[in-house]
Amino acid sequence: MIEIRFHGRGGQGAVTAVKILASAIYLEGKFTQAIPMYGTERRGAPVAAFCRVDDTRIRERDLVHEPDMVVVLDPLLNRSVDVTDGLKKGGLVIVNHPGAAKDTGLAGDFKVATVDATKIALDVIGRPITNTAILGAFAKATGLVKLESLAEAVKSELPARLIPTNVDAMKKAYEATNAPVDASGFKKAEIVKKTSTQPMISYSRNVSDWRVIRPVVDKAKCVGCKRCWVYCPETAISLVDNKAEINYDYCKGCGICSEECLVHAIKMEREEV
Amino acid sequence: MKSEVMVGNKAVAYATKLARANLIAAYPITPQTTIVEYLSDFVAGGDLKAEFVTVEGEITAQLVCLSGSIAGARTFTATSGEGLLYMSHALHHTARYWAPVVMAVCNRSVRTMQPDHTDLLAQRETGWIQLYCENNQEVLDTGIMAYKIAEDDRVRLPVAYALDGYVLSFTAEPVEIPDQEKVDAWLPPFKTQYPVLPETWDHDLEEYKKHWAQGKGINEPFTPFAGDENFSHLTMVSWGKGHDLQWRWRAHQEAMMRAKKVIREVNEDYGKHFGRSYGNGLLEEYRTEDADAVIVAMGTLASTSRVAVDNLRKQGKKIGLVKLKSYRPFPDEEFRDIGKRVGTIGVIDRNISLGENGIAYGSIRSSVYDLKDRPKVLGFYAGLAGREVRVRDIEKAAEMTLKGAEGAPTWIG
Amino acid sequence: MSKKMSIRDLREEEVMWSGNPACQGCAGSIVGRLIFKALGRNSARVEVASCAPGFMNIRVPSFFGPAFEGGAAFATGLARGYKVIGREDITVAALIGDGGTVDIGFQGLSGAAERNENVFWFTYDNEAYMNTGGQRSSATPEHANTTTTPVAQYSRGKTSDKKNVPMIMALHNVPYVATASVAYPEDLTAKIVYGKGIKGFRYMHIFSPCPTGWGTDPKDTIKIARLSVESGLWPLYEITEGHKMRLTYKPRELKPVSEPLKMQGRFRHLKDEELSVIQEQTTENWQRLLEMDGKTIF
Repeated sequence: MIEIRFHGRGGQGAVTAVKILASAIYLEGKFTQAIPMYGTERRGAPVAAFCRVDDTRIRERDLVHEPDMVVVLDPLLNRSVDVTDGLKKGGLVIVNHPGAAKDTGLAGDFKVATVDATKIALDVIGRPITNTAILGAFAKATGLVKLESLAEAVKSELPARLIPTNVDAMKKAYEATNAPVDASGFKKAEIVKKTSTQPMISYSRNVSDWRVIRPVVDKAKCVGCKRCWVYCPETAISLVDNKAEINYDYCKGCGICSEECLVHAIKMEREEV
Repeated sequence: MKSEVMVGNKAVAYATKLARANLIAAYPITPQTTIVEYLSDFVAGGDLKAEFVTVEGEITAQLVCLSGSIAGARTFTATSGEGLLYMSHALHHTARYWAPVVMAVCNRSVRTMQPDHTDLLAQRETGWIQLYCENNQEVLDTGIMAYKIAEDDRVRLPVAYALDGYVLSFTAEPVEIPDQEKVDAWLPPFKTQYPVLPETWDHDLEEYKKHWAQGKGINEPFTPFAGDENFSHLTMVSWGKGHDLQWRWRAHQEAMMRAKKVIREVNEDYGKHFGRSYGNGLLEEYRTEDADAVIVAMGTLASTSRVAVDNLRKQGKKIGLVKLKSYRPFPDEEFRDIGKRVGTIGVIDRNISLGENGIAYGSIRSSVYDLKDRPKVLGFYAGLAGREVRVRDIEKAAEMTLKGAEGAPTWIG
Repeated sequence: MSKKMSIRDLREEEVMWSGNPACQGCAGSIVGRLIFKALGRNSARVEVASCAPGFMNIRVPSFFGPAFEGGAAFATGLARGYKVIGREDITVAALIGDGGTVDIGFQGLSGAAERNENVFWFTYDNEAYMNTGGQRSSATPEHANTTTTPVAQYSRGKTSDKKNVPMIMALHNVPYVATASVAYPEDLTAKIVYGKGIKGFRYMHIFSPCPTGWGTDPKDTIKIARLSVESGLWPLYEITEGHKMRLTYKPRELKPVSEPLKMQGRFRHLKDEELSVIQEQTTENWQRLLEMDGKTIF
């Protein structure tokens, strides 16, 4: 049996990805299982999903704790989540990353294949939804599934209007995937467990890693009108000396503050990988 | 002490008044309706100082009691048959909140208005304590004891007490009414252990933070007050951190097990103060001393069974009766003890778990299974959908029990 | 009648802690924050199944109320229980989604309103069951594409109009009914401040765009809410004593409904003729409201 764990963010389509993958491999005559892990986390929050592949019906009903393969849909994810936790020795990681394997911050007794799925998704689909692109890379790096099967399986998971671009993204990613490289000599990036500084009730948490774009305030332009403060869904903006001050621990990067600022004092900038 | 010839529903209303319930929410349904009417009269006439919420359905009735209880009120509701089934969803919530709500249930069968116990027994997995009564005096006494049990710090669980619809709810018989002062002395005003108030909320959250700091998280009970194992309101807000709340069921089960002891104590103490008690609180044995066999019955069937046992005893037949009063928690130790003493137990169920068997029958059979020399356990169905159960019907079941006749559960009456 | 407020009048103190797990650009989060900012900390909060528990970091006693259908029941019990212990000063606020209000919770809501329970009810309306992935509710507008009213060969989205619950609540003759929008926090706060001073059942229905469910860019949440008001799709008004009606915001000229609708993925399929029918209905409805403005209705 082969066990695969997907890491992504709410909205990137990790759950859809495992479903497509399981369907595609099933089309090739194997038994599969696709498991979503639902929490209360929403769009932007780290999520996981799982896939199992075997020759006979799979009986395991728990989640995947010791995967053979790990797929990471977001290049920033391994800063806050230990994506290779439990990965079997000699395993394989397929990660969406613009750089080379050694730059991913992943290190250990496993191989790392990279693909710049975000760029492909933006170029081909027009949105940074990387799930189909990363599946193309998965097919290339693992040989576990054919591109044609993935293209067939996509049909039952996505609306018709989105299929051509997504299949195209898969193909482009398949071609652009860098071959797996042994990661045992690499340097592992530090995982920063970001905890909330707010009183620990219910859901309070540090959400800074949900963000792909960040608001930056031009203090010289800010007139202290409080519009960004009043419209911030995260209670992440306060006024210091009558200027907007953003608490990045709690900013999810929705962009409302920038959109609503009447004097254009807030610009949205891409988070650096 | 006064006494009055009253129907069972009035006994419920008196019990509620004497217990000084101060938040009542109920929706009318036959045969419970007059409970609500008597209580309305009490409140309207100034005999009972209570918030009376005339709700638009049973789910609302139950939830009003739940949140009212959390805020600090002593609550009461009553329902019956279909109303109870409609309320079922909310029953689970009240139990999950460990709210000491008290409810009277006039047993009613679905699609007839006549009684059987399937309505309340079908709620046995909700986590409520369930007590069944055989006469109107017991109804009144149980209605008072129910609050003492529910509000005991070792329990803090909701209590339902049942009276057979029509057979008790609309039958009048003499009932002694304890003096209000005596009840007040025995049952002090309800004080919620966990006042959920804005001014204490920050403190509560700080305690919760410490709980997390100790690495306990959601997987362990949050117990900010010393010795308290049932704190629930704050843990409700922790719901989203994960879904592993199995400990709640464990804690609830432990509270149910403690409730056995509490019910026995309350029953005994009530006897000391008011001169009446009911067996050991969980069940009552009648003429079982030298019995070869016993029959088991709940509610008014227990009352009829007493007559049948007396008749057979006159014929020299060594039969006794076990009145099962508390179905939840279930007195399994007591049944094991009885099982050691008798050869056969005949269980008369005024209920049925369709596709299996009588509900009490299954529980009792299971209780005695581990005994080395276990008795035979026979099952009988009687009085379903309100079918009248006569003394001779019970006698028939008792005779069969004495013979120890094997075979599938038997329909009688 | 509520008194006009400005952004400067809004309470500085935050009643919501940061760090909630709602989606990016969630209007419900803003609504929750604004409501309790206005109510202050001497209040208690009831919620039922909805996304709202996702933005629960509000510093008042909070109940993830039991039973989807039971928001009004739970709030009733709290209000009555607080009365029993002599604490009627605590504002019992229900923060309920559209499903828990207009569909499964409606029986209890109507009952509580009829009994005039001392409860302040807030509906944050994102026009579908967003917490379960976007199924239609009776608050979903006509033509909207939802997961249970999908647009396909034989379907043009939801086939019936949005249920007009604020007006239905006004017909319960409750002391206060108001609509509000997340894009108008001053108006929303002014109405809450006014409602807080009234005893009895108060109802507020708040328009809250959902970027995830509506297929919109998170940054556009406020813009869509504002355009919906400016185009007459979501009029802002209040009804006191069950019949005194007042529009609290009157755009001099309505913007075309296509402006907010075209920004939403759930209306992507709308044809020009469908848009013009919506435009016609909206203009008519606005005219009706203008005629009612400042008058005794019902």
